[in-house]
Order: sequence, then C-alpha cells, then structure tokens
Amino acid sequence: MKKSSRYIKDILIMSILLGIAFGISLLFQYVFEVYEHVTTIFVFAVFLISLFTNGYVYGILSAFAGTIAVNYAFTFPYFALNFTIPVNLISGMIMIAVAVLTSALTTKLKRHEAMKAESEKERMRANLLRAVSHDLRTPLTTIYGSSTTLLENNEVMTAEQKEKIITGIKEDSEWLVRMVENLLSITGIDSGQIKIIKTSTVLDELIDSVVLKFKKRYPAQKVEIKLPEDVTIIPMDAILIEQVIINILENAVQHAKGMTGLFLRVSVVGNSAVFEIEDNGCGINPKRLETLFTGYYTSENDVADGKKRNAGIGLSVCATIIKAHGGDIKAENKKTGGAVFRFCLDTERINYDTE
Amino acid sequence: MIQNKYKILLVEDEDNIRNLVATMLDTAGYQTILASSCSAAKTLFASHIPDLIILDLGLPDMDGVNLLDYVRKDSLTPVIVLSARTNETDKITVLDRGANDYVTKPFGSGELLARVRAALRNHRFSADEGRLPGGRFILKDLEIDYDARRIFLRGEEIRLTQTEYNIVALLSENCGKMMTYSAIIKAIWGGSAQEGSIKKLQVNMANIRKKIGDKPGEQNYIANELGVGYRLNS
Repeated sequence: MKKSSRYIKDILIMSILLGIAFGISLLFQYVFEVYEHVTTIFVFAVFLISLFTNGYVYGILSAFAGTIAVNYAFTFPYFALNFTIPVNLISGMIMIAVAVLTSALTTKLKRHEAMKAESEKERMRANLLRAVSHDLRTPLTTIYGSSTTLLENNEVMTAEQKEKIITGIKEDSEWLVRMVENLLSITGIDSGQIKIIKTSTVLDELIDSVVLKFKKRYPAQKVEIKLPEDVTIIPMDAILIEQVIINILENAVQHAKGMTGLFLRVSVVGNSAVFEIEDNGCGINPKRLETLFTGYYTSENDVADGKKRNAGIGLSVCATIIKAHGGDIKAENKKTGGAVFRFCLDTERINYDTE
Repeated sequence: MIQNKYKILLVEDEDNIRNLVATMLDTAGYQTILASSCSAAKTLFASHIPDLIILDLGLPDMDGVNLLDYVRKDSLTPVIVLSARTNETDKITVLDRGANDYVTKPFGSGELLARVRAALRNHRFSADEGRLPGGRFILKDLEIDYDARRIFLRGEEIRLTQTEYNIVALLSENCGKMMTYSAIIKAIWGGSAQEGSIKKLQVNMANIRKKIGDKPGEQNYIANELGVGYRLNS
C-alpha cells in the first residue's frame, strides 16, 4: 500500500470513530439525559482508533480530542472549556494511557506478524535450498564417479561398460541443466524484485519451440498437438511459459505410468487461451493433488524412488510462473484415467495490415 | 589432405571448455587454432586467416564483442558465439553486430558441429551464388526462382504475397543464419523494429509457415527463436 493512502485511511478511521462517539454522547445527553457514560464512550473510541490505525499518533491525537470534547460539550459548563475540573483531567489521562498502551500492543503484534511471514518465507527458501542441494548431489555423484572411473580404468573397461557409464553422465548432466533452468526462473520471480516482462508471442511459435526442445530431451515420446486455426497472439514471458509447458510434459513422462498418449491442446475461449496438457497414464495420487504446486518437497514419502526427484520443484515453478502472469494453474484426474493440467492466459487482439 | 581442412579459431578462456570444444572439432576433422584472450585471438586471426571463429563472450582481457567488431571491420569470416547468457537481448546484440550464430552453454557436440557445418556452408553459398541473375535456391523440396520471384514446394507453386515472398527470399539469401527481427524488418520495410512492426512480421511469418506446410514442433524449413528471430534451416 502507498504511504499517502495509508495516512488518508488512518485519518478517516480516526475522524469517523470520533464523530460516532461524539454523536452517541450527544444522543445520550439530550435524548436519554444520561451523563455518566460520556467519558466511557470516548475511552472506547480511543481504544478502537488505536487498534485500527498505524503507530501512536492517531490514538494520542484522538485522546486529546476526546478530552477536549468531553470538557467542552459534556461537562458543566456546557459548550465552554474549563480545565479546572479534576474528573475531566483524570479521564483525559486515562484516554491517553489507553491510546499509548493499545498502540504499543498493536504495533508489537503487527511487527510480530510481519516477522512470522518473513520467517515462513525464509523457511520455504531453506526447504527449497535443502531439497535442491540434496538433489544436486545425486547427479554430481554419478558424473564425478563415472568420470574418475573412466580415467582410472580406461584400459580394462569394455566398450559396452564405457558406453553405459558415459550415458549416465550425459543423462545426469541433462537433468542438472534442467534443474538450473528451473531455479533461475523462480529465483528471478520469487525475489519479488524482478517483474516479468510480457512480450507479444505467437502461439504457434511458442508451441514450435516447446515441442522441439521437448523432443530433444525425449526423442521417443510423441506429443499430439492441437492448436487454433487462426493466428493467436498472447502477451507473455515466452521463456518462462515455455518452461511451464516443458515441465508439465516432462512430469507426465516421468510420473504417468502406463501412458500411451500425451496431448498438448490450446483453445481460445473469448479472449483467453486455455492450455491443456493431458495424459492417459495412472493419474495423480489424490493425496498429492492438493499440495502438487505448493510443496517444494513437503511430501518426503514420495521421494523413495530415486526417479521421483525434481517433481516438487518443477511444478512449483509452474505455479509461480503462471501466478506471476496473473493466471491460475490446476491439475485434475480424468474419469477415464490420466491427468490434465490446465492454465489460461489472456490473448491479444490483432488488428493491422500485414503489408 | 591436411591442406584441405577447415581452420577454426577457437577463443575461450576456460581451459576445460577449450579442451572439450577442441576435441569435438579435432575428431570432426577440423584444424583448430586456440586462443584464450581477445588480444591473442586478434593476432592469430590476422596471421592464420581462419575459415570460422568460435568465440566465447566472457573473456578475461575484454568482452568478446570487441573481437567480433574487429573481425567484422573487413571480413565476412563466419563467427559463432558461445554464450552462457540465456538473455535474448544479448543474443540479439551479438547477431546484430555481425555474429552468424550462437550456441548457448551447455551444448552437446552434435549441436555445435551442426552449427559449424551450417555456418561454413552458408558462407560458401553466399560467396558463390548470392543473387546472381538466373539464381535459384534449392533446399530439400523448396525451390526459389529469384528472377521470377516465385516459390515452389515439391514442384508446385506456392502463392505468397509480395511481402511474404520478400521475407522468404531474404531468409534464403541468409540460409542457416539466425536473422533477428530488426534485421528482417530493416530489410523488408525499412526502419527500426518496433512493437507494431515485429507483430506484423510475426503474422506474416505465421502465414508463410502455414503455406509452406511447417507444423509446430516438427523439423521445419523455418526455425524460430522466441524473442530473437528466424532462420531458414539449411
């Protein structure tokens, strides 16, 4: 929130509450002819003001205003100031005390909440870092171990053994590359400093780039594509959206057991492009569905199988990126088996000549 | 036989990467000249006159772009840039300053060698044929008759608008080279690349790709690099 608008809001709260207190007091005095509760009403108003505004200023100001109002309007002589009445001075002091104490308490509470949010963020970051370091170690072990083995036993190893070891190095370094890409994407957005910059992107070009990259990693996996006939332009950070789609496709390859078909569909509904990535594999464990996009590795029980690493981070990255685009990402199981991931992005109108 | 080997000047300051790339090139039958700094590369370029330069951008003595400018002052020697930067603006900068192509680290040997082959081939193509009268361009099933301004796919003519033809012809003259948006826009419409003109190019390109039967995700004639530009795959 902007500073000036916060001041305005606080001043409004103060004026309105004081006004109400004044009105109620007038009502009591003239309609019901009750005089004893005026001070109490103002003390309560001061308490509320201190509670709902920031800092000490408004509470103390309203305590003074309350004291003067009680003195002026509700204490004999009516509608004249007279500071020799001890009762009024005492109530004034009580109001100031209430204001200071309440403000102190609420300020402390707010600070505490901010700290809690910060430490929660810190905890998430630490979790992520721990998961990542753990994950990085596994492929590094393969790469380091394999290369030293090759260096030291080059002569005694058969060609077949060598190829196996080298394939391992290749696969694990590919995995490392993807991991680093993902990390770069989220650290950019998560820090909150960097805003994503949207540029107009042609849907067909995006999908072209996505599928070529995906095919390079998984040459054997076919992806069936369905796109709208017309040229569709979507403002987005194309590199990040590309990563979202690749992550989801990759997730299907790694986790959808028994999958025989992988589909990537985009349809335009109104001025919104709906991206759907669907597989016909084993579906997602319902227990995992809820925390699919939030848990950087919160569910440890799923990691038992070595191949499952990366799942948490890849999908969290997707959610972060889509959220930064102002969209929402959802996953669900189909009745016919398999899972669907779906997210929407706003499209852009095309209206100009092409010559 | 050794005389006929292409000479490649490799400029890279990281020992491990230099060794690796040198090995990739050696095993593919190229002769490599190694440099680990910009100034050394300048001397070697002048004395050896290499056929191609592979250039890492982050060099200890000065930015690799400096060497690119030096080479481009009076030569068309193809330059392939190695870059750890995934940022598009960096890619666009080096391409617009005369680099023929770039390869983002990390890369595999197949990827690098394919770019090297393409760059060497195109250099020869543009040097020999260019826009000679009666010139024809043939790539797989695609054929361009520059004189008649007509394009054929598997012998059948494809109807393109004037603008679409100009774009395809431009890409074919620079076949294999990544052409940035601004380079294409400047050649086709004149003027600089603005938001509107890039979109105009993108829509034209979408129509061209449809007409020549390019489908997203397949090995197509025209490759696109998001946010950077297009290349006619050689």
